[in-house]
Amino acid sequence: MTEIEAKELSIGYEKRKIVEALNLKIPKGQITTMIGPNGCGKSTILKTLARIMKPKSGSVYLDGKIIHKESTKQVAKKLAVLPQSPEAPSGLKVKELVAYGRYPHQTGARSLTKADQDIIERSLKQTGMDAFKDRDIDALSGGQRQRVWIAMALAQETDILLLDEPTTYLDLAHQLEVLEVLKRLNEEEGRTIVMVIHDLNHAARFADYMVALKAGKIVQEGAPEQVICSTVLKDVFAIDADVVTDPRTKKPVCLSYDLMIPERAEEELIPAGGAR
Amino acid sequence: MKRKPLIVFTTLVVFIVFVLLVSLQSGTFQMTPAEAFKTIIGQGSDQQELVLFEFRLPRMVLAILIGAGLAVSGAILQSLSRNDLADPGILGINAGAGFAVVLFIYLFQGSYQNLGGSVYILPMFAFLGALTAAALIYSLAYKKGITPVRLVLVGIGINAGFSALLIIMQLRMSPNDFMQATVWLSGNIWGANWSSVLAILPWIAILIPLVIRQANTLNVMRIGDESAVGVGISLERSRLLLLFLAVALAGASVAAGGAIAFLGLVAPHIARRIVGPRHQIMIPTAALIGSLILLFADYIARNMLAPSEIPVGIVVAIIGAPYFLYLLIKTP
Repeated sequence: MTEIEAKELSIGYEKRKIVEALNLKIPKGQITTMIGPNGCGKSTILKTLARIMKPKSGSVYLDGKIIHKESTKQVAKKLAVLPQSPEAPSGLKVKELVAYGRYPHQTGARSLTKADQDIIERSLKQTGMDAFKDRDIDALSGGQRQRVWIAMALAQETDILLLDEPTTYLDLAHQLEVLEVLKRLNEEEGRTIVMVIHDLNHAARFADYMVALKAGKIVQEGAPEQVICSTVLKDVFAIDADVVTDPRTKKPVCLSYDLMIPERAEEELIPAGGAR
Repeated sequence: MKRKPLIVFTTLVVFIVFVLLVSLQSGTFQMTPAEAFKTIIGQGSDQQELVLFEFRLPRMVLAILIGAGLAVSGAILQSLSRNDLADPGILGINAGAGFAVVLFIYLFQGSYQNLGGSVYILPMFAFLGALTAAALIYSLAYKKGITPVRLVLVGIGINAGFSALLIIMQLRMSPNDFMQATVWLSGNIWGANWSSVLAILPWIAILIPLVIRQANTLNVMRIGDESAVGVGISLERSRLLLLFLAVALAGASVAAGGAIAFLGLVAPHIARRIVGPRHQIMIPTAALIGSLILLFADYIARNMLAPSEIPVGIVVAIIGAPYFLYLLIKTP
């Protein structure tokens, strides 16, 4: 099983530093969710983990090797990434896009083998999209489209799956549908999943491990109960939240929350270490 | 909409052969289909053989090669820039070649016709001009790598710059040279003989299979930078390679056929609408469509106002534009 880890990672655009000296070890075979306010660097970290962005210093290690120095095609056999709101070229069929996930396993212009076809079939089934495989992607709903992209990532047959806000723009039912698919993949195949999610309750419900970020730094990481608590939420989002345990999922849930009055937020700000 | 690629290929080849045969027997020098057929199987008069094999056939073969070259170049550029409006013209390749040619005509002020070798020197100039423009665009657009948007924007800028210089020089020309330059800039299959065919044939015959080999990479490039890296594309290397292929194809085509506009834009579009966006099938289809359009346009160009000729590039635009608009209106 592939292992991914960031050591002393600093990332930035031009002169602006977004993340500084970040150390993060993603637990194998579990679902990790990253939460944090807009601009806290969670997407940037995900992109760097996926070797789409280069760090300024420090490294991401995939099985102990620096990911940015490995052949990108070899990396694509171990790690798949689903960017935020990806777009398919018009006129492309569902099964054609999913077939692109086989790219790292192909050489030259060689067409798909029987084994490739089987893997594509399976990915479509796992995401519940096999009935749609001959449809144009343009003609699908947002939730279906997102599942097609997940199917493409699955066709890469990687141990690790990184997803940047896979549920954004989806309605509640479709959000759950996508997350259930991911959860099943994790439970049945033991794939390591890392995702950035805005909805705190979803992030807590589907995570084995959570990372809360603020201004490029980890404020708190650990089991959902350790991260979704009023002190951490106060620090990370500056919200005043009531957290209870959902009797159905046994996971923490924000029952209600409110903005903090700015002065108060400032005063009661708990330093990063304080919550541990 | 989806048809078996084999049927599409066969249909296009049949069309090409048909237009080729019709075109062969028509022109200023009249020939009946029977006479043309006799000549093809080697039983025509010397004069008929000369017209057919030394004048008409090389020209048509050139049209087929140039059409394929421009179409494939356009297909690459559209996928590379993820912009359906891209074609060799937009990357300043036509303007670069045009500038080089006009510079050449201007510098030799009519005396170039006496240089004898101008049939070979002019295409060389055009090719160098195309390469220069492409190199200029690539280096100006480079900023820790090439993004498609920068490539297109810089291309448009270079294109405008070259076009302006071109007009300044054209205005200082003698009327005769001006005509010559204008005809070239509109696109014209000139110097049609077997040595021109041999000059462009290797480019097309080697480069197009190389492009088809990159079909999987081109497919994945269409889904966005981040997804493309995600499935294991080495973006910069692939972009540079594909850009080189596109420029070399366009440069060779422009050198032989002048700045034929619109073909590189329209042929990939038509191909995509017939066979879908997968490059394994789309690239060969676009090549055949490019050949067919240019061959047909050349037939019209030679015969519509015979004995005088219209630049073939203008005919391409006249027959291509309405069909293109029809397609855009008809399909969602």
